[in-house]
Amino acid sequence: MSAASQPATSARRRWIDAIATVDRRLIFLVIGAGVAIPLLFPLGLPVGVSREATAYHEAIEALAPGDIVIFAFDYEPDVMAEVDPMSYATLSRIFAKGVRVVALADYAGGVGIALRILGETARESGRQYGSDYVFLGYNPDYTATMLRMGESIRQTFPTDHYGTPTGELALMREVDNYAGVDLLVSISGSALAEYWVIFAGGKFGQKVIAGNTAIQAVLIYPYFQTGQLSGFLGGLKGAAEYEQLIGRRGLGLRGMDAQSVAHLLIVCFIVLGNVGYFTARARRRGEAGGMGRGHVG
Amino acid sequence: MKKTGPVAFGFVIGMLMLVQHFTGHPWITARYNNVLDWKQVVFGITLILGVVSLFTHHFKKIARRTAGWPYSILTLAGLLFMIVSAALFTPERGPYPWMFVHVQAPMQATMFALLAFYVASASYRAFRARNVNAALLLAAGVVVMLGRVPLGEMIGLDAVSSWILDFPNLAAKRGVMLGVGLGMAATAIKIITGIERTYLGKGA
Repeated sequence: MSAASQPATSARRRWIDAIATVDRRLIFLVIGAGVAIPLLFPLGLPVGVSREATAYHEAIEALAPGDIVIFAFDYEPDVMAEVDPMSYATLSRIFAKGVRVVALADYAGGVGIALRILGETARESGRQYGSDYVFLGYNPDYTATMLRMGESIRQTFPTDHYGTPTGELALMREVDNYAGVDLLVSISGSALAEYWVIFAGGKFGQKVIAGNTAIQAVLIYPYFQTGQLSGFLGGLKGAAEYEQLIGRRGLGLRGMDAQSVAHLLIVCFIVLGNVGYFTARARRRGEAGGMGRGHVG
Repeated sequence: MKKTGPVAFGFVIGMLMLVQHFTGHPWITARYNNVLDWKQVVFGITLILGVVSLFTHHFKKIARRTAGWPYSILTLAGLLFMIVSAALFTPERGPYPWMFVHVQAPMQATMFALLAFYVASASYRAFRARNVNAALLLAAGVVVMLGRVPLGEMIGLDAVSSWILDFPNLAAKRGVMLGVGLGMAATAIKIITGIERTYLGKGA
């Protein structure tokens, strides 16, 4: 190797080493900025609508005023950034259509979320508690609850969340099992949407739609393809798609730019990591080959 | 009797749950509802057991001054505060809902949001195309990740992403579901007939 090419080679090595060993704090900083900047200064990227979201939208649009929907808050605060926008958008649309809602929470942590979102969306639409919507609260053991509701909702929930006997609520006097329910919506951060499809859909023929975290959405695709699930929203993107369909600019659409940039940055880091890995591997092989030749020579 | 009793009980209840699916007989339906009600009661009791276990665990840590014991004080203080405030002011008003909205919810959401940072860091360090299988997984992951956001849609990756989700993903998921379903059915039959007895504890 000539003396002139040595500085160039060592500079290249420094670059390769830098690519292969990016400090994780730098990665955190870049991701933090990548999420925060588009939230502060929206890019306004266009959002396409998937067929799952279209089917979800159509299932809700098919409801008539006075119809009854079971709305299950099947998540806890950990995933609320991802699925809260679905709950807001769906309930707003359902209430605006004059559809009545029987809400419940399948996780104890979902009660606080349900109270907040139900309260806000019902106030926006001027809905009355007891006649337009009720909140049954949390019942232990979601599988038993789903199955028992198929027999009698009033027996499964003898009182609502506030302690009022369900038999005294005007809305609950009209519905006692899935036969009186026109649609079941599960907004879920786990496999609960799948359980609703199996227990309420499979056993009682209840029409079910769902909103899921992106990771769970992948798992419920088979039920959508078979028609057991009538439509679903997957992750924040799903929420944005539904907001687009109902013409409401909510948290989903606002979060799409940030998610786009974050995903792109993660892909860039994956590419960077692989470039560093392959270059370092090639260098190690080159050095090993050189050493081998030296030894033989 | 110590073994035969639970096995016989399991057989009767298991058969009842199985038979009720194929008959609408009112007596069987009523018993089926009883079992579901009991299941909820048992689940509720396990929640109480969980609280007692949590309390005992942290109380012991504090008493023995084991590593991190001050955190146990915080845990117990939080637990007691929520129980007392719900009992005194009801879960709808007072400090209980305030603590949920302003403390618990942001903390849980923050913990989950941190995943984005760790996923980015872990992807950079561990997501390597070391062989053909890893390269395929990497390519599929990248396409789905980009195809599910507007930026990817603008370059046409949404169609590829949908294809991956609709075909390879569905085929794999359906295979897993069928396997799990058959496994569950086989295990249920083994428990009902008393072949599988590990739930009775050691030596059963």
